[in-house]
Amino acid sequence: MTIPEPDKIIDLRGTPCPLNWVKTKLRLEEMQPGQVLEVVVDDGSPARNVPRSVEAEGHRVLALTDGSGGVHILIERR
Amino acid sequence: MEQVYFDHAATTPPRSEVVEAMLPYLRERWGNPSSLYATGVRALEGMERAREELAALLGAESDEIIFTGSGTEADNHALIGASHSLRKKGDHIITSAVEHHAILHTAAFLEECGLRVTYLPVDGTGTVDPADVRAAVTDRTILVSIMHANNEVGTVQPIAEIGAICRERGVLFHTDAVQTVGHLPLDLSEMPVDLLSLSAHKLYGPKGVGALYLRKGARVRSFVHGGGQERGRRASTENVASIVGLGEAARLARHEMDWESEHSAKLRDLLIRGVLEQVPDAVLTGHPQRRLPNNASFCFAGVEGESILLNLDLEGFAVSSGSACNSGALEPSHVLLAMGLPRELAGGSLRVSVGRDSTVDQVERFLEILPQAVARLRNMAPLTRAVPQ
Repeated sequence: MTIPEPDKIIDLRGTPCPLNWVKTKLRLEEMQPGQVLEVVVDDGSPARNVPRSVEAEGHRVLALTDGSGGVHILIERR
Repeated sequence: MEQVYFDHAATTPPRSEVVEAMLPYLRERWGNPSSLYATGVRALEGMERAREELAALLGAESDEIIFTGSGTEADNHALIGASHSLRKKGDHIITSAVEHHAILHTAAFLEECGLRVTYLPVDGTGTVDPADVRAAVTDRTILVSIMHANNEVGTVQPIAEIGAICRERGVLFHTDAVQTVGHLPLDLSEMPVDLLSLSAHKLYGPKGVGALYLRKGARVRSFVHGGGQERGRRASTENVASIVGLGEAARLARHEMDWESEHSAKLRDLLIRGVLEQVPDAVLTGHPQRRLPNNASFCFAGVEGESILLNLDLEGFAVSSGSACNSGALEPSHVLLAMGLPRELAGGSLRVSVGRDSTVDQVERFLEILPQAVARLRNMAPLTRAVPQ
């Protein structure tokens, strides 16, 4: 599967749980279904918790990659 | 008798959309936004949405918004917090003689703590001269605080010029924008402002909540100590429902400010023209053009402002007087005295501030009643008897 280019990117490194999820959710609410949001979070619990909350809310995690001092989460807005 | 509210500079009625937005956060989403479980996260969501709405109104980043308990608290936070953070750099603050008491009394407190404060004068329109700011800045100056618009006479200060001078000299610039946020456009991404205070209830939001804008990188110490709320910048469990109300008021203001300002300015101009034409010896206070769209303020020779206010109240009009009865003596407003008005004239001040629900019909009725009230009072008791010289 090719990984799509994100429509929006937000850097939430340094933002603790659950504020990072809330900020992700607010961005997703502004987007259209099918659009892709890239979120950069800290490794550790943010990298585990944010994707879990994303999926619990019904959105789709397309990719999860390490890099540039954080974990990049690619989310398709459903 | 219809009650007409012409005191929007004192407070504004919360809009029904604001109340509706708040209710779920009092009934169902009452969790503590610092809690990690779902009940807390639901409250946090409302609060962060409000932070983004307010940031959008101001042209700021959401991380630059600190929710406070009031505009007064935001002013205290700005002055006291900056003084603590920058004490090693200097010990001098510059403000103006016409600020709200939230600034003036805080500045007086800081003087007691050993800081030096310069109170800049204003001209007859209540305007601070940016050249005076430039001349007053020294190597010891850490903060300049000049209000965006005056709460009594409505004069809008040249904060862009003042902020530019502060930036050039490497001094923090704070503005008390309690009277302007939601009423005048502000874009902090362009404006050289480092700190800004605001209050929800002046823009049709609830009482008991305000905010301090703190530009990224500005060093201002926490003012309320305790928990780690607001990223450690203001302890206290947040007033979530009121914060949500502030966010909704900010959202509405962003969409409706242009219409509302135009509407208010039309009524304000009717009021100013009518009062000056129909009441003998009436003086417009504040700047004739650079003033708040909703503020019409006057002084009437030979009559007490408080007496006019009480007479108008009997006729169903709520307005405000700049003077306040203090220990039996009528103390004229510090703003009017700083503008150079004689005490006897300053004692006869009246502030009429309209809002989004005010109408031409209300203004016309006011213009029928006010001249009669002033004439009646002038015949009854000359001011000189009431004011100790």
